[in-house]
Amino acid sequence: MEAASVAHAEHHHGPPPANQSSRVEPQLLGMLLFIISEVMIFGAFFTAYFFIRVVQGEEWPAAGTELPVAIAGVNTAILVSSSITLHWAESALKRDNRFGFKAGMVVTFLLGATFLFIQVNEYVHIGFSPQDTAQGSIFYGLTGLHGAHVFIGLLLLLFVTIRAFRGHFSSQSHRGVEVPGIYWHFVDVMWIVVYTSVYIL
Amino acid sequence: MTARLRAPGMPRAGLGLALGIALSYAIVLPVRALYGFEPLVDGDAVTIVALLAAPFGFLFGLGAFDYWFYWASGRPTRPEDHSGHGATSWRDYFRVNTDHKVIGIQYTVTSFFFLLVGGALAMLMRAELAQPGMQFVSTDAFNGLFSVHASILIFLFIIPVFAGLANFVLPLMIGAPDMAFPRLNALSYWLLPIAGTMMLLSFLVPGGSFATGWTAYAPLSTDAPLGQLFFTIGVQFAGASSVATALNFLVTIITMRAPGMSFWRMPLLVWANFSTSLLVVIATPFIAASQFFVLLDRALGFNFFVPDRGGDVLMYQHVFWFYSHPAVYIMMLPGFGIISEIISVKARKPIFGYRMMAFSLLAIVVLGFTVWAHHMFVSGMQEWIRVPMMITTAIIAVPTGIKIFSWLATLWRGVLHLDTPMLFALGFLTMFVLGGISGVMLAMIPVVIHVSDTYFIVAHIHYVLFGGSLFTIFAGVYYWFPKMTGRMYDERLGKIHFWITFIGFNLTFGPMHLIGMKGMPRRVADYAEQFAGWNLFISLASFAVGLSTLIFVYNMVASWRGGPRAEANPWRALTLEWQVSSPPPIFNFDQIPTVVGGPYEYGVPGAVHGVFKKPGEVAPAPAGRVATAPKKE
Repeated sequence: MEAASVAHAEHHHGPPPANQSSRVEPQLLGMLLFIISEVMIFGAFFTAYFFIRVVQGEEWPAAGTELPVAIAGVNTAILVSSSITLHWAESALKRDNRFGFKAGMVVTFLLGATFLFIQVNEYVHIGFSPQDTAQGSIFYGLTGLHGAHVFIGLLLLLFVTIRAFRGHFSSQSHRGVEVPGIYWHFVDVMWIVVYTSVYIL
Repeated sequence: MTARLRAPGMPRAGLGLALGIALSYAIVLPVRALYGFEPLVDGDAVTIVALLAAPFGFLFGLGAFDYWFYWASGRPTRPEDHSGHGATSWRDYFRVNTDHKVIGIQYTVTSFFFLLVGGALAMLMRAELAQPGMQFVSTDAFNGLFSVHASILIFLFIIPVFAGLANFVLPLMIGAPDMAFPRLNALSYWLLPIAGTMMLLSFLVPGGSFATGWTAYAPLSTDAPLGQLFFTIGVQFAGASSVATALNFLVTIITMRAPGMSFWRMPLLVWANFSTSLLVVIATPFIAASQFFVLLDRALGFNFFVPDRGGDVLMYQHVFWFYSHPAVYIMMLPGFGIISEIISVKARKPIFGYRMMAFSLLAIVVLGFTVWAHHMFVSGMQEWIRVPMMITTAIIAVPTGIKIFSWLATLWRGVLHLDTPMLFALGFLTMFVLGGISGVMLAMIPVVIHVSDTYFIVAHIHYVLFGGSLFTIFAGVYYWFPKMTGRMYDERLGKIHFWITFIGFNLTFGPMHLIGMKGMPRRVADYAEQFAGWNLFISLASFAVGLSTLIFVYNMVASWRGGPRAEANPWRALTLEWQVSSPPPIFNFDQIPTVVGGPYEYGVPGAVHGVFKKPGEVAPAPAGRVATAPKKE
């Protein structure tokens, strides 16, 4: 370790700046590619759903169980509105409206947390478990996978909110808001797909 | 001591590991108490949680997340002092290092360690199979041997070693100072030893190692003893590592190419890794999901694969092969890239059909997603899927054929330099064609019904993965050894290594076609008397292959320590990595080069690929046209 740092001090000059060969920012592209692989993992869970519900032709939902379509619908509205408030926060930041930015982030975070709370509450009261039937397994699998993504998204939003209150970001530098924001919008859109296929269809 | 435990590094990693295990007890015991499960301390449950928690403790202790924690908590991040960059002693390879060259070597050396482990497991198997009847191991242990052999060599050798070679070479080739996300790169490396250690540790748990083959078909795997979960969870870490690296490669290739390096001036190794990374990003989540299903079924009693409760066991195979068929291209395309580099340089000729070489890679990426069910012809799936999958499988041989014929045309009337990398490249060409032909045979439903689960399959897969992938890896390691270490390897030992490997390989796997056709089943520890002669022959030949690997290891270690110094460009190659010193300077380039021509203009008088001048001083030449050589500065 010591030897390494001494050697560094001797010829420390830093790398030459890399050539930017694309208009897309690396961070943005990285997040988009990550979302592609996230879409695929949801795709695999939807494959399982397809095999159980369509190929096997199992009754949906399993006999004697019911899915709370209305409550989940309200929950969907909550999550969708969190995307809108996030967009509001971002555009406030781009106008250097710090109060709007901070308020938007806090509201977004709280809406997301509410969604997760209602989801967990739904698990408690739904009346069937993943151990009962394959339909239960894939119901919990899909909504649980999505819930895990909401959780990760909330962590990212929390980081952004903390940094917002510490005075980070401005209309000139907002990539740290944008990139988690894309992830949150993805989580939101994915929920609409999950809700449509699991609850409505 | 406390200072060492607080600073990122191995001591703190050990502490993190211990804390991770303690945390697993802290999670499992209260939960079991809450639900009133008996007994309170359950080894299985704690192990499963620890398999997930302990690695994160280790990574945290090692310092893989430190920077991100600073960033996330909004504390002022430390200005980049490049202290995570470069290596001056062997200790620098055992910490979180953000230098792509160090990570490349970490990757390559770790993978080769796992090659030796996986090879040793194969030697044990061949020792058991040398005679009919049971001699050395039990049948269960034998199942464990071939399962761990395949898993280790696929997930911990072939896939990561290509990532390792590309990690070293690719940023240099495209004229980038490093990868796009150096800290993510370091994290992807450190996930690997975790995955490998996990798979090997499975030998120590009660019930033995996982024994369901590397395919881990459900419901066999959901009823297997605890060792199975070391595969189920280990694969998640290897998969996460490979997705993160692939993402990193894609972003690096798209956003960090040197000025003048259009997509049609990229070396084919870069094209190959671009295609591979696309496959990894799109396909790898499917194996992650398939193992999540197994984990949920096995650990939490879900019903994905319980037919009585509406589960579907064939779903596992569909999801698994939707990853694992593209995975065979993940294990082959980077090798195609290596071979394109070597054949062009060593034949001193421009690569034949450069654009078709690139297009055929992309065609393989697309077609690779349309053939997965050919692994399931005898599984009892819906019959109508079979014929379409047979046709697409036959079609995918076309882009591969384009590549083979392009290489042959490159060799045609070239000035061949038959040194070790070239020998391995030519060995690859011949062996891969054989493996490809048996592959087309296996695509045909009537043939595969006859030879399914026989040694014919074993022969085929080893002709493509050993004669194919491993030969390209050897070729690549010999080819870039001077660049990576700054030393020359011993050419004579290299040639001896090649010939013993080449001949031993054919004697080992060639006869397997015959005994497979005659019906010797694979994955069995014992077999009928009539196959005894050939099996003894195969075992002896395989020991020769094993010994030849020791020659390779000796050559690498001895040459790295005391080989003659390598010049910057011993192969007279045009691509950018050879235009800097061997080993490259700590930040790759003092100045980003400008690319003025194609990468393979060998034999074209005055051809230049890249020049080290400011972009304004260089008149760009259109691709394919010959640029005049710059004056010596």
